[in-house]
Formats: sequence, C-alpha cells, structure tokens
Amino acid sequence: MIQGRITTVLGDDINTDDIIPAFRLQQSNDPEYFATYAFEKFDSEFRSRCSEREGNVVLAGKNFGCGSSREQAVYALLYNRVACVIAASFPDIFYRNSLANGLTLVAVPDRSGLGMGDELEVDLAAGSIRNRTRGTAIPFSMKAEDRRTFQAGGMTARVRAHLEEILTKR
Amino acid sequence: MGQTMAEKVVSRQVGRPVYAGELIERLPIGKLFFNDVIGPPSILILQRLFADTFKQHGQPVQVFDPRRVFMLPDHSVPAYSVQVAEGVDLMELFGRECGVKVYREGDGIEHVVLIEDGHIVPWDIVLGTDSHTCTNGAMGALAFGVGTTDGAYAMATGHLYDFVVPETFQFELTGSFPKGVYGKDLILHIIGVLGAGGCSRRVAEFMGEGVRRLAMDARTTICNMAVEMSARTGIMSTDEVLLEYLKDRAQWPVEPLASDPDAKFADRLHVDLSQLEPMVAFPHKPANATGVSRLAEMMAKSQAQPGPDFPPIHSDRITDAFVGACTNGRYDDLVEAAKVLRGHKVHPDVSLVVIPASRKVYERAMDEGILQVIVKAGANVESSNCGPCFGSHMGVLSKNAQMISSSNRNYQGRMGSRDARIFLASPATVAASAIEGKIADPRKYL
Ligand code: SF4
Repeated sequence: MIQGRITTVLGDDINTDDIIPAFRLQQSNDPEYFATYAFEKFDSEFRSRCSEREGNVVLAGKNFGCGSSREQAVYALLYNRVACVIAASFPDIFYRNSLANGLTLVAVPDRSGLGMGDELEVDLAAGSIRNRTRGTAIPFSMKAEDRRTFQAGGMTARVRAHLEEILTKR
Repeated sequence: MGQTMAEKVVSRQVGRPVYAGELIERLPIGKLFFNDVIGPPSILILQRLFADTFKQHGQPVQVFDPRRVFMLPDHSVPAYSVQVAEGVDLMELFGRECGVKVYREGDGIEHVVLIEDGHIVPWDIVLGTDSHTCTNGAMGALAFGVGTTDGAYAMATGHLYDFVVPETFQFELTGSFPKGVYGKDLILHIIGVLGAGGCSRRVAEFMGEGVRRLAMDARTTICNMAVEMSARTGIMSTDEVLLEYLKDRAQWPVEPLASDPDAKFADRLHVDLSQLEPMVAFPHKPANATGVSRLAEMMAKSQAQPGPDFPPIHSDRITDAFVGACTNGRYDDLVEAAKVLRGHKVHPDVSLVVIPASRKVYERAMDEGILQVIVKAGANVESSNCGPCFGSHMGVLSKNAQMISSSNRNYQGRMGSRDARIFLASPATVAASAIEGKIADPRKYL
C-alpha cells in the first residue's frame, strides 16, 4: 500500500528532457545526484513541493515520460521521494525504466476525481486508489507481472537467478 | 494465422509461434549497444548488481557475448568535460577487459555506425540504450531503446525481461516524392497526423511501393522518428535495395523478412508520397508539423491558441541552423544540403552547424567535395557526434535563439535555453533557411 499526497499536477506529453535536462546526464553516475535537477527547466518549484514529506504523487496526462530513454528521469523522481506517478498513459521505455527501479506507475484513464493536495492510498493488490480527501475510490488495472515487480521494488532478483542458471550451465 | 515481422522475429527467438499481446518472460537478444551517456552508469550497475554472482562462479564480470555488444562514445565527444572523459575511459577499460568493440570518439553516432559496419541485419533483435534505436528497424531488425538497468541486465544475461509482443501499425506508402520532399517530410507529416502518442505500444511498419523506391538513408530517417509518435519501434521488410546495401557489408547472415499478407494489424494508414510538400515542425514538439506553404497560418494559430507545447511564434527569422544528427546527418542528407548551398552564402545573422553523422560519411563527403561546398558557404563543420541535438556542446542555444534543425526533437530546452525555439525540417529546408535567415522553401534552390 502506497500512502501519498498529490503534490504535482501536469498535462499531456511530459517528456524525459522536461524531467531531467540532457546536460546534467553525464555529470554524475550517482542516481541521487539527479534529484537536485528534477524539472530544472520545466517546473522550478517541483523540488520544494516534494521536500515537505515522503510519499509524493505526480498526477499527469497522456504519455508521461515520452522521448529520450534516459533512466536518470526515474532517479530524479525517486530521489525526490515520489512514491507513485498516476497518469492517463505511459510510453514503453519510461514504463520499463520505472519497473526496473521500482517506481510505481498507475495508468488511470479518467483523472477527474483527483487533484492537487489530495491524500491517496494506492493499493496495488486491490487495484484501487482511495482518495481520502474526497472519500472516493478509483479502480485501475495492472498486469499481474508488473504488480509483482513494483511490489518487489524491481527486477534484479529475477535477473540474478537467471544469471546463476546461465553461469552454472557454462 | 499469418504473422507480422515483429511476431516472426520473436517467434524464432523463443522457438514457438507467438502473437501480439503475449508475454515473453525472457527474450534472448541479438545485439546490444551503449553510448557515452548510459554506457558508464550501465557498466557500474552491472558490476554492482552482479559482481558477487560472477565471483561465486569463479569468473570476472563479463558480457553475455562480446561479439554482440558495442560501445559507442558519440553524444558529448570529443569529451567536453572531465566527467565525460572519465565515462569514455570507463567504456574503453571495460571494453578491453570483456573483449567488446569500443568505437573511437568521432567514429560517429550509434544509430549510423553499426548499420554502416554491417552489424545490423534482418531478423535481429537489437537493444540500444537510446530511444532512437528504432532507426535500426530500417534494416529489418526489431530494435528497442532501453534504459540503464535493462541495458545492464542484457549485458549480463543477453535477455530482455517481461517483453510483451507488440501489435503493428501498418503505414502503406505509395507514389514517389516530388522535388524537395524527403523521408523527413514524410515522417513529420505522419507524426503531425497521429500526434505524439499516436502509435504508442505499437510497431510502426512502413511498407508498399513507396518504400521500395527509397534509398537506405531515407529509410533510416523515417524509422528514426517512429519513437516521436511513441511507437515501440519502426520496421521495414527486406527488398532488393536492402539486400544490395548489405552485400559485402553484412557481418552476420542475411535472410529476408516480411510480414505475412494475412497478418493481423492493429491499424493502417495510407500516405501518397506525391501529395506531400516540405514540412516544418513548430516548437516544442515534432507533432506540431505543418507544410512550408502554411507557415503564416501556423504562426497565427500559435498566437491565437498557444499551449505548453506550442508557444506563440511571432517571426519566421532564424538565428541558428543545424544539419546532422542520427536523423539526417548521413551522406544523402549532406548531398541535398550541399545542392541547396552551392553558390550561396549562409545569412550573416545565422550560425549554421553541419555534422556528418559518422567518420565514414565525413570522409566520403570530403573526398567528393561536398564538404567543400558546405564550408565555403560559411558553415561550421564539426567532427562526427550528436552535436547540438543533445544540447550539451557545439552550438548550445541562448534564450533569444530561433533554430531550424534536421534532428528529431524540438522539446523545450532540448538544445540549451528553455526560451529558445526549435523548428525541425529536412536538411534541404534547413540549408535554404540558413541562406535566407528565415524559414524557407528549399524547392527554389533545387
Ligand atoms: S543525434 Fe540526437 S537524437 Fe540522435 S542519438 Fe544523438 S542526441 Fe540522440
């Protein structure tokens, strides 16, 4: 169960250049570094809004995270204590990068029952977002394998087991 | 039931017939490549996550198959900062330890060089740590961009995990381009029609007699921008032109690939190439595309109904121009730009940067006098790399800049200041605009 509050509301087609600009990417190999520059050119208040507490939720429109494959965009969100992104849709590369790092993404076609400041409980097992501020519930669907990966915080354990298999056979 | 190319390629890899929608828990891949942005962190993740596992088996950290992995420092080279230089060092060191080919700085852009060197062939499954890996679909490969962690996983085991076989959107192209219209104009037109998310989770297959008439350089431009409508990747079937291109070049066995006529497609769009005109994408997204004859209308619209991705444009003047990138920095692109520039000078208010996309393109353009035309016109020709497309060096934009570029993304802030405005167009349109100091129709120069 993810507990959080919507601290950022964005529109459609937010791209990974918006989330973290290119010229920061090669300045560090430390994932936490990118937190400092999240939405640097796009939303300069983002960091201060996220700094108040754990469990920030980003609410966005269609196609959140499109464009460049830079995984640093996922780090920029994770290390600003973003617990979950709720959007109308996500393109594949960003979705995979989030899966790999355990940043939970929830696709909800109709977001009219959600708004800035709402307190949420996102229940992956039940496939439901409870809006505590408004006393409503919004169902969502998620593939079982993705739910398992998000709950496990990423895919690494599985890949390690596979590598074991391969090295044993070699 | 018939299969699409994507379904066929995955079926062969997993050894049983599969169709769109099926989940493949472990998909074996064919080729894997890294650039200087994602390569260094990916190597570090590989070492951090899996060094113990290798050690338990008495082995050093290594890649699944050194012949199938490539390192290409191309984004920020020759290195512009100590951090970049150290990242390139790490790629070289790791490459030597694992027996992986590491290209030199200046050899060119990943999506150009591996194709040129015959490493990408039909039926391949290609992963690259860059969203424009879809470019490689022009070779009949199923090619996907991945992030740092998927790249590290694939280095270790040679697999992509939890892959869902995508549906295919078929684009049937008929007719042939009129003068001054190119692959770039076609793909901008299609993205304009479908929008930034118009092909999401689907493979974009480009087929029909219109494709068969196109040279390889144009085909790679088209597949390159499939991701700008959120396609999973682009792909094209094998024909005479591709087979001819691969002859004496392919480093791997070549076998033709095409979708079955009775395959199931998620959607279809027909485009008659002869009806197209030169296109320009307005800031801040490729989907803001319009014909060059309708600039005034588009400017008026941007003023009347601006949006976050569509700022008001008050002038068609330009300050910067760029011919290059994995989209349009190939040989045919430089030829077309030079045709326009021959006998003209770049406008005094414009900085034109031209970057051949690979060392091979650079050398051929030099030998054939094409670079001479471009340099004499007043362009800055730089060594092969991503250049201003990546926004980190060789032409970073100020807040006052209005740029026209042959690259593939005009996002806000992509090439420097968030206040700069970037237009996208073909190399010919960029060259014509560089001469006139304003967005211009290239046809009068051809
Ligand atoms: S040229 Fe631009 S789009 Fe192509 S790989 Fe380089 S940065 Fe990416």
